[in-house]
Amino acid sequence: MVNLFKQIESVIDSSLGRRNLGFLFMGFVVLFFIWFPTDPTQSNYAKTVFISGFFYAIMASSWALLAGIAGQFSFGHMAFMGIGAYAAGFIARDGITFAILGIEITPDSISTIVAILIGTFVAGFVGLIIGWLLLRLRSSYLALFTIAFSELFRIVMLTEYDYTGGSNGLSLRRLVDVADVDAARQIEYYLMFGLLVVSLLLMYIVSRSRIGLFLRAMREDEDAASALGVNIVLYKVLIFVFTSMIVGLAGAVFYSNVGSERIIPEQLEILQMSLVIAYAVIGGMESLLGAAAGAFISRYLLEAMRVVVINLPFGLKMPDGSDAFVWETGAWRFALFGLVMILTLRYMRNGLLFPIIQWFTGRDSAMLETVSIRETDHSAKPKLEEETQ
Amino acid sequence: MSNIKLELTNVSKRFGGNQAVNEVSFVIDQPQLVGLIGPNGAGKTTLTNMMSGMTPTSSGTIYLNGKRIDGLAPYNVARSGLGRTFQVTRALRRMTVLENMMVPALAMHPRANPKHLEEKARDTLQFLTIGHLTNEFGRALSGGQQKLLELGRLLMLDPSVIILDEPFAGVHPSLQETIYEYIHRVREDGKAIILISHDMGAVFELSERLIVLNFGTLIADGDPKDVKNNPKVIEAYLGEDEKE
Repeated sequence: MVNLFKQIESVIDSSLGRRNLGFLFMGFVVLFFIWFPTDPTQSNYAKTVFISGFFYAIMASSWALLAGIAGQFSFGHMAFMGIGAYAAGFIARDGITFAILGIEITPDSISTIVAILIGTFVAGFVGLIIGWLLLRLRSSYLALFTIAFSELFRIVMLTEYDYTGGSNGLSLRRLVDVADVDAARQIEYYLMFGLLVVSLLLMYIVSRSRIGLFLRAMREDEDAASALGVNIVLYKVLIFVFTSMIVGLAGAVFYSNVGSERIIPEQLEILQMSLVIAYAVIGGMESLLGAAAGAFISRYLLEAMRVVVINLPFGLKMPDGSDAFVWETGAWRFALFGLVMILTLRYMRNGLLFPIIQWFTGRDSAMLETVSIRETDHSAKPKLEEETQ
Repeated sequence: MSNIKLELTNVSKRFGGNQAVNEVSFVIDQPQLVGLIGPNGAGKTTLTNMMSGMTPTSSGTIYLNGKRIDGLAPYNVARSGLGRTFQVTRALRRMTVLENMMVPALAMHPRANPKHLEEKARDTLQFLTIGHLTNEFGRALSGGQQKLLELGRLLMLDPSVIILDEPFAGVHPSLQETIYEYIHRVREDGKAIILISHDMGAVFELSERLIVLNFGTLIADGDPKDVKNNPKVIEAYLGEDEKE
């Protein structure tokens, strides 16, 4: 089996190449997502599940950038998403007044898109403050701080019900105002998918740039990175602002009747944040694509597993006379999901999908190559090899 | 590189009731190799941390090439021209050796062509005998190789003053030769080096000047031969046996 895999691998390497194969595969995936809503057999419910998958893919991949690549293990991601959504909702409902500038924008004069953009900037601004407050905090302290911040925000939204709607949540203005429900769903689908693609591209550009290199250096060792000339303060704040704006935008769009009718404080609970982290961990928290794919697949499976139906073979019957085993999983699907996460952390710390992505990039072969050089290059550096042992 | 000037004036550091460094003053105003020695707890690492911006000073001033660097963040000190290694190696473990080299290069030269910097990084790694490990993760390197990587990163940072904190600790003799070569090359490039080491043989062999600390206080500063015979140093550092 291993030999067969090696043979296939060498054929791919000598013909198309892994990287090109990866791009080809990605192309097919994108085409599939573009085609999906045009298929008349797909229900609006299925499209809604996909929209939710895209939303959580944005959440998980941006968290992967923040925690997996930049090393800032934050639990405040859902809170920033909520800030974007609530701020967009408040502005669209009540307008905004800049007393110092003497400018008053009424709800009638503000478009939904502008409200969403303002919500995005508000999330970025809060990210700036939180990023600055977190400058001296690392690892567990950073996590605890962001949990406290997240809970603080949730409780304020829950308590100030006159303004926020409390546990009933806040309805945002509809972003896609089209009478035809099917057409609206299709537009909303493409909107969320487009947002995911753009977010991933932006985050990919950042992670592959000089900034991405510095973020990873910061993740590895803040003191060492700083001693090498990296402005830790700047990049720490920058990554909080950047990821806060991405999730703020995603939240504001998703809750503008694109994926959900209203934002409720329940969405800001630690459990929801834990799910985002779990999606990223299962996909691969050091890979944007891995985390996004992990989130989408997990969301889809969690939805698909609401009811498990297994048709019994050989004419077998259940005690009630039916020919299928039906299991309404309820909370058990989350238990199963937790088990997958435990096994991932124990046996595949880089996630289930990251090794596949790594294979496509050819990174593992490059590593093996240098290891083999080290192992065979005894004549060039005999003493060095002794040291390596 | 004759414009090197590192000037410490009455630099002190107090941790609660412990006076770790007490009114230390010295000037390095030429490319030279200065050994900084002292028994355990003498204040060498604290002084190094203050010079590199890792630890704020309690009092005193530090100037580098006319710019006051005490109170600056470590990245700013590094960009001002003072680079350092760490007593315990701090390789960026989940980044490749080449990426480790590119961090200081791009931090110092954000507008430079990355291809040129990469070329320089590869040449430096070859010189340090770890060119064959370019694509390896930092964590895959042995302790000695990580020391070499740290030295390589300093070359990419290209500072005018370099602090080497225990560069020979736990290093195989063959790699020690490479580090010797490195030190000579850096010295020839016109940089000042502050060498902190418990390897007295290496310190006396390499240093052109020796600074000795004891209980946070500077007790000797001068030619290594003179310092070696300084009664205070013999008593405080080299011990009674040496005195006899």
